[in-house]
Amino acid sequence: MELNRRSLLAAIGAGAAAAALGGCGTGTSTAGSADGPAEGEITLLTPIYEGADGKTLLEQEILGGFRKKHPKVKVNVDYTTYAQLNEKITTGLAGGLLPDVLMMGVGWIPPFAAKKAIAELPEKLASAHDYEKRVLEPSRYDGRLYALPVVLDTRIVVYRKDHFAAAGIRKTPANWAELRAVAKQLTKDGRLGFDPFSIDLRQCWETFLFANGGRLFSADGKKVLFNNARGVEALQFFKDLVKDGSSDYAKKTDLGAPSNIQTGKASMMMSTSALWNQLKDTNPELIEGDKVGAFILANRKPAMLQGGTLVSQSASSKHPAAARALVEHLATPESILGAAKQRGSVPGLKDLNDTTYVKENKFVDLSLQSMGDACSEGGTAAWMEIREKIKPTLEPAIVGGQSAKDAIAELGRLAQAAIGRM
Amino acid sequence: MVAPALLHASLWIGLPVVASVVLAFTKYDVLTAPQFVGLDNFRDMLDDAVFRKSIVNTVVYTFFTVPFGMALGLLMALALHTGLKARGIFRTAIFLPQVTATVAIALVWLWIYNPRNGLLNALLAFLGIDGPAWLSSTTWAMPSVILVGIWQGIGMKMLIYLAALQSLPKELYEAASVDGASKVRQFFSITLPLLKPATFFVLITSMISAFQSFDQIYILTDGGPANSTTMMTYEIYKSAFREFRVGYACAQSLVLFVLLMGFTLVNRRIMGGTRGHS
Repeated sequence: MELNRRSLLAAIGAGAAAAALGGCGTGTSTAGSADGPAEGEITLLTPIYEGADGKTLLEQEILGGFRKKHPKVKVNVDYTTYAQLNEKITTGLAGGLLPDVLMMGVGWIPPFAAKKAIAELPEKLASAHDYEKRVLEPSRYDGRLYALPVVLDTRIVVYRKDHFAAAGIRKTPANWAELRAVAKQLTKDGRLGFDPFSIDLRQCWETFLFANGGRLFSADGKKVLFNNARGVEALQFFKDLVKDGSSDYAKKTDLGAPSNIQTGKASMMMSTSALWNQLKDTNPELIEGDKVGAFILANRKPAMLQGGTLVSQSASSKHPAAARALVEHLATPESILGAAKQRGSVPGLKDLNDTTYVKENKFVDLSLQSMGDACSEGGTAAWMEIREKIKPTLEPAIVGGQSAKDAIAELGRLAQAAIGRM
Repeated sequence: MVAPALLHASLWIGLPVVASVVLAFTKYDVLTAPQFVGLDNFRDMLDDAVFRKSIVNTVVYTFFTVPFGMALGLLMALALHTGLKARGIFRTAIFLPQVTATVAIALVWLWIYNPRNGLLNALLAFLGIDGPAWLSSTTWAMPSVILVGIWQGIGMKMLIYLAALQSLPKELYEAASVDGASKVRQFFSITLPLLKPATFFVLITSMISAFQSFDQIYILTDGGPANSTTMMTYEIYKSAFREFRVGYACAQSLVLFVLLMGFTLVNRRIMGGTRGHS
């Protein structure tokens, strides 16, 4: 055949179309058997174990123990952050280089399990340790186990006991009416009564939704349930706080910066248990002087958002036995305790409830006592798309003039469309 | 000699372009094989208020960064074209933002804009002004991002104008001086017309660059607050890498490509091509 411009372009077009339509589904291979000896070179993708301390903890202590048990397995670690995790997974899938073991967040299991990107784990692993009752729920999809929890990150309300005492407030708010009144009372001299915005807006609104008796999706993950009065009221509460002047979206603190509680610029704030570690490092006087406390948000019911990091096995791993062994090792009490200590997170194993770490960290202790009120985000195979829409869709109601009702309706429409595309 | 270049262009430019066009008509989430969905992605785009907002934001960003950046670039090139002392240092200083990673630049600006302990609000406080939360305010976020865009782009524009200024024929200026034309008259009657090819080049490359702005948004604002700074490239990135909607992202890319092509052709028509002084 004569090679001319037209034939070359036709060949390129055909090749591209074939590549696009045929060969891109790299993540669809079924799980290889995890039977047999654990050996080979595998990769672990992790958004936790941050900084030099985290690296030392993972590579020397946790993986050191793993190497002793499985000397024929070599583990390469790919560090990332939660902000970049989904890009890493997307590019890994597109390039056919998905890591053998993936650590991901609560809510992420249904989307990846539904598409068969991660492998199902044997049910016996669910009873290998004494998990808190609802800790394993985000690890399941369609009733089957796809991940094991490593650490939990709860969302609680942290408050300044000294501010409360100075204002003559003797008990923490039991519902939103009380919360709003207390926030107003504590707002003075440039200090915010309540800062709900220094955590991610998505997770913050979800906590309020759950505390208002609302739910995100139906049990089968196919119907949006948050676009009712419960969801609207949760968002409206933020608007009311801003209107009162007791909250200010522009005064939220950035990740890693001293929080408004630490600096005394807020009397209450939504936070994770990790704030305890931050206080211990930079403001130990607040802990030593018993100036900070925490409580669970409540309105129609008490609710605590339970996020966290789970570990799963890629369905396309070439060394499934080695990958499975690493998943199991990262979920042992020893590995979990190390990770929880380093991040100030909550270990989800009852075996660890009596450890010095849990007893010393009051926020972790409160979280463990409140596990019965814990709720998780996600629950639909379309979660990866929906989670990205929540913050930018709700923000216009808080910083702009949009009504809470319109913002929730818009989010509901986007979420239902995303579910419809599944 | 043409074959290697053709092969390179076909493999690394042609193939991805064709693949993007093909994928624009599919539902593709990376996890499973693409499915042909016809014009569904384009219909979804018409219904996507955030993508429409991103087009408006991109046009606004381009509208402010390109002309202001060009004017400042030209002014600096004119200043450096004169016998300014230590002009080498000035040229380097002005060009430095161009060769510095945008991520590093954005991090510095992040600190400058920090409402609590940033440089900008500290200066304003010195003047007795209570500065706003620059990047968290729907009013101030876009101007803040535009300022970074202008600052970062001046170096390249200045360099191109400087090269063009240095190639202008001196005899025209000598003749104009003999005829009694003032410096201002010389600038408008000789310099600006002769800079037309350079201006066209700077305009097109600046517009393309502005339409493809991404890094500063990614670091500075994440498209917020309330989508007030989101851009087309940022929405494309979010669709593909965060929401796993690669087919939709390809359709969005196609719209960006068509818009850029349209703007380029319109500019070419308005400016009458690139013919001028050479």
